[in-house]
Amino acid sequence: MTLHVRVNGTARDINAGPEVRLIDVLRDQLGLTGTKEGCSVGVCGACSVLVDGEVMSACLLPAVLVDGMDVTTIEGVAAERLEEAFITEGGFQCGICTPGQIVSAVALLMAHPRPSDAEISDWMTGNLCRCTGYRGIERAIKKAVGE
Amino acid sequence: MSAEYHEPRAWDEAVATLQEHGDDALVLAGGTAYTLLLRQGLIRPGHVIGLRRLPGAARIDADAHGGVSIGAMATHTQALRSEAVREHWPELGAALAKVATIRIRNQATVGGSVAHADPASDAPVMLCALGAQAVVVSGSERRRAPVDELFVDTFTTSLAPHELIHSVEIPGRTPWTRAAYLKYTLRSVDDYATVSVAVRAEITDGVVEQLRVFLGGVGATPMRATSTERALRGRRVEPRALGDAAALARNDVDPADDVRGSAAYKREMTRVFTERALRSVLA
Amino acid sequence: MKLSHTATLATPIDRVWALVTDIPAAAKCVPGVTSVTANGTNAYKGTLHVQIGPVRLALDGDITMTSRDDARHTAALRADAKDTRLGGTVRATVDLALREIAGGCELAITSDVQIGGRIGEFGQPVIQRKSDQLLGQFAQCLARSAS
Repeated sequence: MTLHVRVNGTARDINAGPEVRLIDVLRDQLGLTGTKEGCSVGVCGACSVLVDGEVMSACLLPAVLVDGMDVTTIEGVAAERLEEAFITEGGFQCGICTPGQIVSAVALLMAHPRPSDAEISDWMTGNLCRCTGYRGIERAIKKAVGE
Repeated sequence: MSAEYHEPRAWDEAVATLQEHGDDALVLAGGTAYTLLLRQGLIRPGHVIGLRRLPGAARIDADAHGGVSIGAMATHTQALRSEAVREHWPELGAALAKVATIRIRNQATVGGSVAHADPASDAPVMLCALGAQAVVVSGSERRRAPVDELFVDTFTTSLAPHELIHSVEIPGRTPWTRAAYLKYTLRSVDDYATVSVAVRAEITDGVVEQLRVFLGGVGATPMRATSTERALRGRRVEPRALGDAAALARNDVDPADDVRGSAAYKREMTRVFTERALRSVLA
Repeated sequence: MKLSHTATLATPIDRVWALVTDIPAAAKCVPGVTSVTANGTNAYKGTLHVQIGPVRLALDGDITMTSRDDARHTAALRADAKDTRLGGTVRATVDLALREIAGGCELAITSDVQIGGRIGEFGQPVIQRKSDQLLGQFAQCLARSAS
């Protein structure tokens, strides 16, 4: 069926049956390869995207469920301060988890503009990183809040 | 696979579509379990019936007695953020907040969690302890069924193939109602429970008038700790008796060996966490 | 995966033995069996339907009696099935033993089941539980049918 989805602010017509996942649409149909498929089971968070402002796993979301909604990917988030902080605070090394980390952090700061340590920890749980040991990511988020 | 996708706009239309396609149709709520099963190659529906357009399906309301109704299509996040749950049943909100990660909570629905009947999931166990009822739609009929009677086996409810969960209703509470949900995860905080315990108690003048204790992850369905309940119901709360009462729960569970623990370990953790749960509401 | 089940029957051993060694008749006691037809000597073809939640299996297979001792009341069967819906396989060897006890007889069934392919995605605990259930129901039904 034809879905009408706003992706990063642009209205798009997407052809997808109920077996197609949002990540397939983003990467294969729209060429938005910033969203990464890490585990395919919604655990690692590398595929985090925003749907109507709420963070979700694109690998678990049937595309038919975002018909009529706003999808924001790493390519479309307004996160300059965060991205700058990730660079200065060592929030990434290989970069594979980074799009997911940034999208999740953007959602966190939208919901909690001045998050406590516990809120950061709870929210970012499930955005796995094999390289940094997480401290750089935490520092980056706190730096982005602090400015 | 190229299944046909339906988005009915009315409940009886959804039921009729389900009936029409029988075995070849599957229901799509939040889509988390659906996507996993699809990717594993375990389901191959010819027809997928999405429930997102059903009127009032995600509605959350409270009544004057603190009873809360949660629409089947309400996500875990919508439920725990709702004023009704925060005001009347914060313990349920706390239980829902323990599910997986924020991404799963934003997508997975409360009704879907009940209908999927994964014995290691959280919402079913807590809803059983709270004495919740499911409002079930079959055609133009609606019936109520206690949630704890819905679960018959792993991933299996007693719903007829064409029936849908419309909402879950949590009964009201009194000033002497206490409730808690404890979740023991072994490997990571966002995992399924090795053992989880949900308790609801009504205590007046130090006497346990009502007690419901349910356990998750230790059987094919949420398991009721009837032995523990029997040992404490109608008696004065005695902190020293709680340990023994919790130990009895070991007889009421039927855990299996898996990656989250051996059956023997889960049985022992049943005792440990039932005691902690009892202490948190009774002591 | 090893399974075992025993059932006590208040029926003479010979009557139970006759039923147990009559594959088409005994197969009626396996919940979900829809057809059993002869396919040579001591060999049969059959279909077994199993459902776990939304997952449905249709196991098409061959059943052979590989050994039989009427004096000792022991028999062995072998089943080889393919799931026609999802594409997994099930192979099982089943050992049956009847022994006379006061008031009737005792049936002991032990089975070694190998699951291959898609069905294995379910994980051992769920498959074990389902198989135990089927075996238990089979034993109980045999007890009822033989009396």
